[in-house]
Amino acid sequence: MSALPLAFLSPWLLAALLALPALWLLLRIVPPRPRRVDFPPLRLLLDVTAKRETPVRTPWWLLLLRLAIAALIIIALARPIWNPAAATSNESGPLLVVVDNGWASAPDWGARTAAADAAISAAGDAGRPVALVATAEPPRDIALTTAGEARERLRVLAPEPLMPERTPLLAPIRKLLAGNPTTEALWISDGLAGGEARAFAEGLKRELGGGRLSVRVDAAHSARALVAAENAPAALTVKALRAEAAGREPFRVRATDLRGRPLADAEGAFAVGARDATATFDLPVELRNDVARLEIVGARSAGAVQLLDQRSKRRTVGLVTGATADVAQPLLSPTYYVSRALKPFADVREASGQGASQAVERFVSEKLPVIILADVGALTQEAHEALAGWLRNGGVLIRFAGPRLAGAPDDDLSPVRLRQGGRVLGGALAWETPQPLASFSPNGPFAPLVVPNDVTVSRQVLAEPDADLPERVWATLGDGTPLVTGAREGKGLSVLFHVTSDTRWSNLPLSGAFVDMLRRIVDLAGSSPAAAPDAAATTPAAARRPALPPTRTLDGYGAFRSPPATARPAPAEGRPAATPDNPPGFYGPVDAGVAINALPADASLARLDLAGLDASVAQIATEEPTPIAPWLLTLAALAAIVDSLVVFLLGGGAALLTRRPRAAAILVAAIGVSLLAAPGVVRAEPAGRDPIDERFALEATLSTRLAYVATGDFEVDRISKAGLEGLSQTLGQRTALEPGAPMAVDPAKDELSFFPLLYWPVVQGAPTPSPEALARIDAYMKQGGTILFDTRDALTSGPGVQNETLKRLLGGLDVPALEKAPPDHVLTKAFYLLNDFPGRYSGSPLWVEALPPVEEGEERPARAGDGVSPILITGADFAGAWAVGANGEPLFPTSSDERQREMAYRVGVNIVMYTLTGNYKADQVHVPALLERLGQ
Amino acid sequence: MAVRAELVDSSAVRIASRHEEAALDLAGSLPRLLVAARRASATVVHGLHGRRRSGVGENFWQFRRFTAGDAPGRIDWRRSARDEHLYVREQEWEAAHTVWIWIDRSRSMAFRSSLAPLPKIERAVVLGLALADLLVRGGERVGLLGLSRPTASRLAIERLAQALAYAPDDAGHLPPAAIPIARLAEAVVIGDLLAPEDEIASAVASLAGRGGRGHLVMIADPAEETFPFWGRTEFVDPDGGVSLIAGRAEEWRAGYEERLTRHRAAVADIARRHGWSFIVHRTDRPATEALLGLHAQLGEAAQ
Repeated sequence: MSALPLAFLSPWLLAALLALPALWLLLRIVPPRPRRVDFPPLRLLLDVTAKRETPVRTPWWLLLLRLAIAALIIIALARPIWNPAAATSNESGPLLVVVDNGWASAPDWGARTAAADAAISAAGDAGRPVALVATAEPPRDIALTTAGEARERLRVLAPEPLMPERTPLLAPIRKLLAGNPTTEALWISDGLAGGEARAFAEGLKRELGGGRLSVRVDAAHSARALVAAENAPAALTVKALRAEAAGREPFRVRATDLRGRPLADAEGAFAVGARDATATFDLPVELRNDVARLEIVGARSAGAVQLLDQRSKRRTVGLVTGATADVAQPLLSPTYYVSRALKPFADVREASGQGASQAVERFVSEKLPVIILADVGALTQEAHEALAGWLRNGGVLIRFAGPRLAGAPDDDLSPVRLRQGGRVLGGALAWETPQPLASFSPNGPFAPLVVPNDVTVSRQVLAEPDADLPERVWATLGDGTPLVTGAREGKGLSVLFHVTSDTRWSNLPLSGAFVDMLRRIVDLAGSSPAAAPDAAATTPAAARRPALPPTRTLDGYGAFRSPPATARPAPAEGRPAATPDNPPGFYGPVDAGVAINALPADASLARLDLAGLDASVAQIATEEPTPIAPWLLTLAALAAIVDSLVVFLLGGGAALLTRRPRAAAILVAAIGVSLLAAPGVVRAEPAGRDPIDERFALEATLSTRLAYVATGDFEVDRISKAGLEGLSQTLGQRTALEPGAPMAVDPAKDELSFFPLLYWPVVQGAPTPSPEALARIDAYMKQGGTILFDTRDALTSGPGVQNETLKRLLGGLDVPALEKAPPDHVLTKAFYLLNDFPGRYSGSPLWVEALPPVEEGEERPARAGDGVSPILITGADFAGAWAVGANGEPLFPTSSDERQREMAYRVGVNIVMYTLTGNYKADQVHVPALLERLGQ
Repeated sequence: MAVRAELVDSSAVRIASRHEEAALDLAGSLPRLLVAARRASATVVHGLHGRRRSGVGENFWQFRRFTAGDAPGRIDWRRSARDEHLYVREQEWEAAHTVWIWIDRSRSMAFRSSLAPLPKIERAVVLGLALADLLVRGGERVGLLGLSRPTASRLAIERLAQALAYAPDDAGHLPPAAIPIARLAEAVVIGDLLAPEDEIASAVASLAGRGGRGHLVMIADPAEETFPFWGRTEFVDPDGGVSLIAGRAEEWRAGYEERLTRHRAAVADIARRHGWSFIVHRTDRPATEALLGLHAQLGEAAQ
C-alpha cells in the first residue's frame, strides 16, 4: 500500500488468488464444449477405431481471459479502496477523535468524515473505545463509546455554519483524560487559525501529557470565505478571503435574489501572495437592491455565502431645498452635508433648476421612497397634496428646519406642530448657551446610537408642547427641547430635524452621528412607497424593534434550510457574525428582516500554524476514498460477456447468424423499432387531448342556432326541439335573425360556447350533472352565455323558485343574485314591448340576474346591468307554447287562448334579442337626448 | 471456418412444386427415354403407348392390303368397301415397360453440409421425378415403389410428386422388402444407401426376387465423402440418438475414408451380383450427371 493509494478492506480474501493456478489447471483439463455435428454415416464411423483420443485444448488466450475474470472477482470481493484514509497508530488506549465541523470543514466534509471513520474503524478493529467530539457543537461531557456508536454519531454529524469555538472543549477533554490517561488523540482540523486553533492544539497536547496527538489538516487548498458585502454607490462589492498567501487564483461570485434566482456573476482573483480579493458587481441600483445572497461558486460552505438584508439596499433619496442660489458656494448649500451623509448608503437625487414644488411633484411621481425637504417652507397646493398622499402611502419624509420653515405657516406635514419663529440659543440676545445633544429617545430608532458629546445646537425651531409630543421625540437637547421628532403618517413616516441641514444652526451635520441618524431613518423606508414598510418598522413607538425570529438559515454547506430548533431570535440590529444561537441566515420578516453572516465583516483567514507542536501532522486525503469494487465487477462482467461471445464464435455461432439472415434482419429490425417506438409514444402523448368535435363545431357555428339541453327524457326533448323550431321560424319571419335548426347539446360533453342561448327544461328528478359538467356550465355562464331554465311547473308551484331539481342543479353553480324581471328591465323592450312573460302558462315570473338598484332621481324607461343576465328562470313552459308540428301547427294548447301563444312568441323573440344584443336597447333610449345634444 | 453439417428442417425439404419444376427443367435437357426394347419385347402389358410400328395395340396404326395368310376376320370391311382391294386394319404395336422408383425419405436424407448447395433429399427427389418424366415421355409406366400405382400419364410427374408429398413419413433406409417387382420391370432405388451391407443385400435380393432389374443410386453429401472435420466434435446420428464424441476429428478421417470405400465396394458388389447397376452421386455435382448415368443404364443405348 506504499506506492499506490490503494487499500483492501478485506485483504484476507486476496488469499483466494492462490487458487488461480488450480483453476488454470482445471480449465486446461476440461476440454471446450464439442461442436455438434449431425452425421448420417455415423454407423460407418462407429466401426472406425481412433488412434488417439486427445482433446483439443482451450486456447491460451481464452484461458488467460477466464483467469482474469476470476482474479477480478476475487480482488473485487476483497473490497479495494482507492485513496484510503491513512490509519492511526496501533496503541491500546482509548482514541479521542476531535472533528472540526465549522463552516470551513464543509467543502471537503466527505473526506474528513472518511478520515475520522477510518480512524474509528481501525480503533474498533483494535478493540479500543472511542470518544468523538465535534468542535462546532456546544461543549458537553465526553463519554467513551464503542467504535460502532461513534461511527453512528459521526454519520449524523454535519458541518455547522459557524467558526468553531474550540477552547471551551478543553475542560470536558480534561475530564475525560483524567479517567483515561492512555488516551491517544486525533484532531481533524479545518486548517484555519480562527477559533483559537493553535491554543486548542497546545491545550490538547498539554492535557494529553505523554499521549500521542495526531493532527490532520487539509491540503493546501482550504476553505474560501466571503465577507463585507457592500452596496457602494457605484457597485456592489464583496471581499473574498483565503487562508494561505498562495499564487493567483481566480474565483467567481454569484449574486442571487431572495428566491434563489441568479442575478449576476462577478469574476475576481486572488493576486499572488494576497489573502483577500474583491469582486465587484457593476449592476443598476434596482438590481443590486434585489441581491439577497452572494456566494463563491462551487465553494459549498456557509462561510462562502454572504447574505444581504434590507440594510444593504440602496435607496434613492430625493433632496429638495427651499434655497435657490446656493450653487456657487457649495459649502453653504443646505443640501451639501445631507447629500454627503447619504452618499455611503443611498443614491441622492437633487432637484436642480426647479422650484421646490415642482421638484416635490417630480420625486413623488418617480415614487422615491425617501424625500428630504431641506428648509422648505410653503409648497403649492398640488405639491402639498401629492406629498401628503405619498406620505400616507408609505413615503418617508425628512424635513430640516430653517428660516423658511420657521416663517411658513404650519402645513401638517411635520410630525409636530411648530411654534412660529426660530429660537436662538447662545446668541447675543439669548439667555442660554448653545445646547448639546442630550439623549436619544429609547423608543425612537436612534436608541442604539451612542450620544455624541460634541454636538451643539445654537438655534432651533420649537414644537408646541402638545400632549403627544413626548412620544414623538426621537432626540432631545440638554434642556429637554426636541431636536428630532418623528411621527407616523398613514403608512409613511414624517421626521423633522429641528435644525438646518447645514451648519448655520448647529454643528450636527458635521458630526458622525448625523450619518448614523440619517441611515437609521432611511433604513426605515421601503425601497419604494409601494412596498410599504410594515407598521412595526415605521411606528416610532415600535421602532425599537423586538428580537427577530429566524426565517431561513444556512446550513454548514451554505444552503438555505428551515431554522434549526436551536436557533434563537436575533436582536433587531442584527449581529456582526453568527453565534451558535444565531446561525447565519435571515431573521424577521422578509422585507424588514436582518441578515446574519457566518463571518464578521472584518474577518480574515489564516493558516493554522502547528510549528513547534509535538504532534504528528498529516494531510487529509483530499480525494475521497473510492471503493473500486464496482468497477472491477463491471470489468469482470464485460470480460465474461467477451468470453461467452468467443465461445459462441468458436462453436460456429457467427455462421448461425449468417445462415439465418432473416432472423438477423428481424433482430435488427426489432431493435430499431424499439428504439424508434419510444419517441413515437412520447409524441403520441399530446394527441390524447380531448379535441372539440370538429363536425359538431362546424355545424353549431356556421349559422346562429338556438340550443336546448338534452335531458334524456324523450318527450321533453321532443317538445324542446319543436318549441325551438317554432321560435326559430318566428324569429326568421319577424326579425333580421334567421337561425338555423336548433341543436341538442349535452353540457357534459359538447362545447357550449357556440350558442348564445341554451334552453334547459328542468325534468323533475333529473340527476345532477357531474362536477366537470357543472364547471363547464359555470364557465359558459361566466363567459357570456345565457341559460334559460324552464321548470314548466307554473300551474303547480307557488311563488318563488321552489323546484327541488333546479335548486339541486343551481347549488353547484355560481349563480348571481336573482330577481323577478322588473317592468323596466330591458327584456321587456328588447324587440316587443311586453308587460309580462307568459309561456304555455301565464303568471309565472321570469327570474333574471338582479340589476343594480335604481339611482335616486333617475328616470329611465329601460334598465340593464353590464352584459346579459347569465341565467333566466321561468316556469311558464315556453317550449310548449312555441312548439310547432311539421306543418307549422301548434302542438299544445295554451292555458288561455291563442293570443297568449302570440305573446309567448314575443317573449321568445325578446329573450333571443336580449341575449344577442345585450343592453343595446337600454342605451338606445338615450338616442333622443343624444340627438338633442348634437343639435339636430 | 469449420465445415458445418446438420439436418435441414423437415419443413424445408417438404416435397413441393419446386421439385416438379426442377425435375422438369432437368428432364428437359435430355431426350426422352425408352427402356430398351430388348427387355420390353415380350411385355404383355399393353395399350399405353405405341412403338411406332404395327403390332398389338388399341390405336389405329395403318390399313394394309390383305395378304394371304392374314386371318379373314381381320379385314376391315368398311375400308375395303371403298375400293377394290381388301384392307386389313393394323393396330399400333403397343408395349409398355414399368419402372419403379423408390426414394429414400428418411431423416438422414435431410443432411446437408456447408460444402453442398442442397440437402440430399432434394437431389434425390429431383432426380427421381426427372427420371419419371423422361420415362413417361418415352411411353413407359412409372410408379413409386409402395406409394403409387404405375402410370404412363403425361401428368405422371405431378401425380408422383403429390404421392410423395402426401406419403406417410418413412424412416426406412431401404425399399420395403415385401414388394418384389415383376420380372421385366425395373427398380430405381435412390438413397444414401448407408444402411449396413447385409440389409442392403437382403433388400436388393427381395426386390430382384422375380428377376427384376434395378439400379442403385447412392446420393452422398461431400462432407460424408471427405470427412472435413477437425477438433473436438460430437457426431450425432440423425435417426437414432447415437452420438460419438471425437476428441480430434481429423484423426478419424483416414479410418473413415477407408471404411466408406469398403462400404461402397460392398454395395457395388451386391448390385453386380443381381445384375443391377450402381451409381454414386455427390450433391455438389450437377444433377445432370446422375440423370445421364441413369439414362445410359436404362436407355437403349446401354444395350
